[in-house]
Amino acid sequence: MLSPEIGHFCLILALVTSVAQIILPTLGVLRADTRLTTTAEGLQIISSIAIFISFASLLYAFIVSDFSVQLVASHSHSLKPMIYKITGSWGNHEGSLLLWIVILGLFGLLFVIREARARLKTLTLIVMGGITLAFLAFSLFTSNPFTRLSPAPLDGRGLNPVLQDIGLALHPPMLYLGYVGLSMAFAIAIAGLIIGQVDKNWARITRFWVVLAWSALTAGIALGSWWAYYELGWGGWWFWDPVENASLMPWLAATALLHSVIVVERREQMVSWTILMAITAFSLSLVGTFIVRSGLLTSVHSFASDPARGIFILFILLGAVGLPLFLYGLRAGKIGRASDYHLLSRETGLILNNYILVVSTFIVLIGTLYPLGLELFTGAKITVGAPYFDAAFNPVMGIGILFMAIGPLLVWRRGLIASARPALYLSAGGALAGIILLLVLSGISVTGIAGIALTLWLGLSIIGDMVFRLRPWQAGMGDRLRLPATQWGMWLAHFGMVIFLTGALASSLFERENIVRVQKGATIPLGTETLVFDGVEARTGPNYVTETALLRLFDKDGQLIDGLYPEKRFYPAERQTTTEAAIRTRLSGDHYAVLGDGDSDTGYTLRLYHKPLVSWIWFGAVMMACGGLIALYRRPNKAVNPLVEAR
Amino acid sequence: MARSITHFLPLILFAILAVIAAIALVMTLSGERKISELPSALIGKPVPVTELPSLTDAQAFVKIDGTGNAPYMVNFFASWCAPCRAEAPALAILAKEIDIIGIAYKDKPEDSRKFLADFGNPYARIGIDNAGNAGLDWGVYGVPETYIISADGIVLKRHAGPIDGDNLRKIFLPFIASLKAQ
Repeated sequence: MLSPEIGHFCLILALVTSVAQIILPTLGVLRADTRLTTTAEGLQIISSIAIFISFASLLYAFIVSDFSVQLVASHSHSLKPMIYKITGSWGNHEGSLLLWIVILGLFGLLFVIREARARLKTLTLIVMGGITLAFLAFSLFTSNPFTRLSPAPLDGRGLNPVLQDIGLALHPPMLYLGYVGLSMAFAIAIAGLIIGQVDKNWARITRFWVVLAWSALTAGIALGSWWAYYELGWGGWWFWDPVENASLMPWLAATALLHSVIVVERREQMVSWTILMAITAFSLSLVGTFIVRSGLLTSVHSFASDPARGIFILFILLGAVGLPLFLYGLRAGKIGRASDYHLLSRETGLILNNYILVVSTFIVLIGTLYPLGLELFTGAKITVGAPYFDAAFNPVMGIGILFMAIGPLLVWRRGLIASARPALYLSAGGALAGIILLLVLSGISVTGIAGIALTLWLGLSIIGDMVFRLRPWQAGMGDRLRLPATQWGMWLAHFGMVIFLTGALASSLFERENIVRVQKGATIPLGTETLVFDGVEARTGPNYVTETALLRLFDKDGQLIDGLYPEKRFYPAERQTTTEAAIRTRLSGDHYAVLGDGDSDTGYTLRLYHKPLVSWIWFGAVMMACGGLIALYRRPNKAVNPLVEAR
Repeated sequence: MARSITHFLPLILFAILAVIAAIALVMTLSGERKISELPSALIGKPVPVTELPSLTDAQAFVKIDGTGNAPYMVNFFASWCAPCRAEAPALAILAKEIDIIGIAYKDKPEDSRKFLADFGNPYARIGIDNAGNAGLDWGVYGVPETYIISADGIVLKRHAGPIDGDNLRKIFLPFIASLKAQ
């Protein structure tokens, strides 16, 4: 019933609707005809529903394994577990593009429902129509997911056990929620630029979508990094690959936007800069979506990409970035007002925050695009890796963290909040004590000590701010707890950064590693702990057989802590072997064991790691995302929206 | 006036990037920018000395340096790379002419082994470059990528992308024949 042709038809229907969504309301705005402007909402609803039906029919084709659809034949298999049949629908270029469009439709629908009818809403929906049109055209003309295959094969070709992973399946939707959420902020920014009225109300509407997108993007990046950590078995969590950089750049720009939009909401300052950040963040998320699909940047992931698609993408970028930037150049001078704040003020703190985030975005952008530029001008081909980013990105982030501790202690216009001084004394004292202790007691490198000191500095400033503001030792704390949700969200998100830094620093500075080749019965030291290897046994899983190493972990007093069972799995049907690392995750750190090659005569290779606090990296990222969501909560507001048109 | 020009700066910056991207794309489409013909900073220089754990013998290491007594080839490959499958027949033919050292780039050993079982093993020795560090040393642009090294360890030629029948007949076989004739 939900045949691929229905899906295809609905995509075309959505395309036509998007064209109407651009033309009719635009005519309405030009002629001041409300009958035409209000069509924007209805058309957005129709196009969203058409897109949903289209995606449903693709899901259906994957669920029933309709191998007459080329995409299903290439990426699915009748024997796949159902959950991976479903997630497989977006585990490829065409399907993931459709998922992108679905999320765009979802946000458009949410926007229609959530916001009150106003000129800003109509113009935003016109811009949304433009974005939807570009993506639908790209999908239909270069990457149609519904292409039929004749004759249909008996079974599909997509049964790779490595790709059947829940982390990998959930990573793209999360990331896309972030990317597409930024398209809302972009559309509202363009609408504000056209109207020429960028004020508190504009910022209030924009902030909701920015924070939502930012939280999803944070979670999406964390999910991808976590997957790389436990599945790839290299023990690392960030590799500065172009694909990873492509998701980091919009995150950095969105973080800048998240902060500058607050300045607009509270003080109507930094107005044109905020518009520019909204355009930048969305542009970079377009780059993030397209970088591996264009054939422009040849990362290791994309050797077989299609340059013809690249031309299409370039035109999308010209329209979605060039036009808005042109409009920005024309109109930016006419919005906003002169600055009226002192050097020592919340405004300055947030401007510094934005500059540092923009500089770090540029550092990542240069590292990612430099190979392309160099190749064009000199013909040399190079790869930029971790050494560049460690040397260029980390110090800038260090400066950022230095100021991140002070910023929240400043007040708008001028001065420090009352609890700032004790909080700053506490964090400066803690950081200094940390430096001295580490210099005396340990052999940690200078950069390592700097990192720990900065983390202490930031962490103690947040704790100090909370303690001295809430003053639990004085009566009446209940009243002081009634802070705005944004304050709690900010504390949680900033403290998530502390947790993240703690995990990143501890796992790299204090990691212990032992790679050995041992016989049954061997005792292997790993830091203060020891492991005993009790040999390898064969086990049987649902559709695989294993070689499972039996390891017992003892603490320094010889007490048994736990068993570790790293495996090699052999899938007879696919004639494929996979490695399953044994990871014992605790808050204090992960024990990580991988079974290598070997047999009972010559012994087995074992790779053993202890990574202190490594899970804090992802825990911190989750805290940041939750902080964002908490900041979205608003006490019911009875005030009338000033932008509501009288009907 | 000066103030309004600064507002166009982002557009100018974007325009420069867009022009660069457009040139790159047009050159790729017209065939002028060939991803396979790569001038490498390594050409005419000694090989970056590389020592990697062996894929076939868990206790051995594969060492690439200038101490050989015949020319050889170094080929970066990975099981996850589709073009590597496409060049398997060409490598099988070349293996009869010259020693090929394989480097399994950012690949799990068991996946590499499965790949070789499926598509044939043309390699004399195979090193595991799980973290991609050897790839960085060599300036590898993507897989597959192939280097021809002289007997005294000088990099003579670099080829990025799969070796197809055309490259094989026009570039590789004549080049190797001329090396042997020397």
